[in-house]
Amino acid sequence: MIETVIRKRIEILADQPLAGRVTSAIDEVGISGWSILPVTAGSGREGRWREERVTGADKVLVLTIASAEKAGALAERLAPILTSHGFLLTMWDVEVIRGERF
Amino acid sequence: MDSAVITSTFTSPVILFFVLGFAAALARSELSIPEAIAKGLSLYLMAAIGLKGGVAVARSGIGPDVAAAMAAGFVLSLLIPVGAYGALRAFGRLDKVNAGAVAAHYGSVSVVTFVTAVEVLQGVGLAPAGYMVAVLAIMETPAILTGLLLARGALGSSESRRGEMLHEVFLNASVVLLLGSFAIGAIAGPEGFEDVRPLFDAGFKGVLCLFLLDMGLIAARRLTASRALTWRLIVLAILFPVVNGVIGTLVGFAIGLDPGSTAALGVLCASASYIAVPAAMRLSLPEADPGVYLTMSLSVTFPFNILVGIALFAALTRALSGA
Repeated sequence: MIETVIRKRIEILADQPLAGRVTSAIDEVGISGWSILPVTAGSGREGRWREERVTGADKVLVLTIASAEKAGALAERLAPILTSHGFLLTMWDVEVIRGERF
Repeated sequence: MDSAVITSTFTSPVILFFVLGFAAALARSELSIPEAIAKGLSLYLMAAIGLKGGVAVARSGIGPDVAAAMAAGFVLSLLIPVGAYGALRAFGRLDKVNAGAVAAHYGSVSVVTFVTAVEVLQGVGLAPAGYMVAVLAIMETPAILTGLLLARGALGSSESRRGEMLHEVFLNASVVLLLGSFAIGAIAGPEGFEDVRPLFDAGFKGVLCLFLLDMGLIAARRLTASRALTWRLIVLAILFPVVNGVIGTLVGFAIGLDPGSTAALGVLCASASYIAVPAAMRLSLPEADPGVYLTMSLSVTFPFNILVGIALFAALTRALSGA
């Protein structure tokens, strides 16, 4: 049986121009990696939106996996700007193999 | 407005493709241009317009009218947001941050509106001078600085944030490609351009048609999805291009630009950015609502300029100059 450990998977929905702020925060709390995924359309409190490509209003999903301690540090760092920057942050427990990497 | 300009506008395939895209999106058609193709079209258009502008300058040389047009463009881009900001605060009832963000969009320019205007103006015998591409590039940036000063009283909250914003402003893809290809065109000259003419000249109008089809789709979809637009903001999004465009046309005429360049300066002043400025505002004023500034500039002002504004400033130029 492969041994797994529990880590936090964190997803932050952000406007594309602001994704750099999120990845900087991830780097600053010492999380070693992240990925950016495109998001094509959605709906929220501000209404519907979809990928426009030219306007800089497209959204991306920044994805990272970290220990509970680092995930907490990241959430604390981003919490003050979640509303002003329109970020949506979610995290939950996931099982990972090679837990020392996260 | 004279009938030749109106006929030229509404029989132009470029304009009609925009109308098709806008109507298709309003009718909730699933028509769309694939992402990679849309990006390719946009890169092609910017490279082509820059190259052609550079070649035109290489052919005509740089005279005092070039310096006058550039200086006028810079000053107008710097000052237009001030008036827009006052109207947005007093009539539009926006807060300081949102008013500053919207004002920056109206001082800056729309490359696609300019490219479309060049095609329409050429059709009515008012071809702008090649150097207007450089004026276009110059007018992208000053309004961003004015908008930020109006919204915040400063250009950024910290040095790193200011650096990030300035990087976006001066090195965004459209500015780099426009100015870079303008320089290439100026260096290569008419002889050098002959080698690449089949790609950048022959296909230009067709590509512009497809790009405007996509822009019509995007503009209408944003309009139908918007929840932030009030009737007051819609009124301003139509008034701003009229007032700013008339100012630009009068300034162009006053400084002695040729009729085509005068009309083009009017169009530049009338247009509102929806590519470079939104990204800069998202970085510098993240609390400003893109649902307000993008919907005003892209879904109201842009269609207004394509369908009415370009013809209006062409007609005004003709009336002023007798061209």
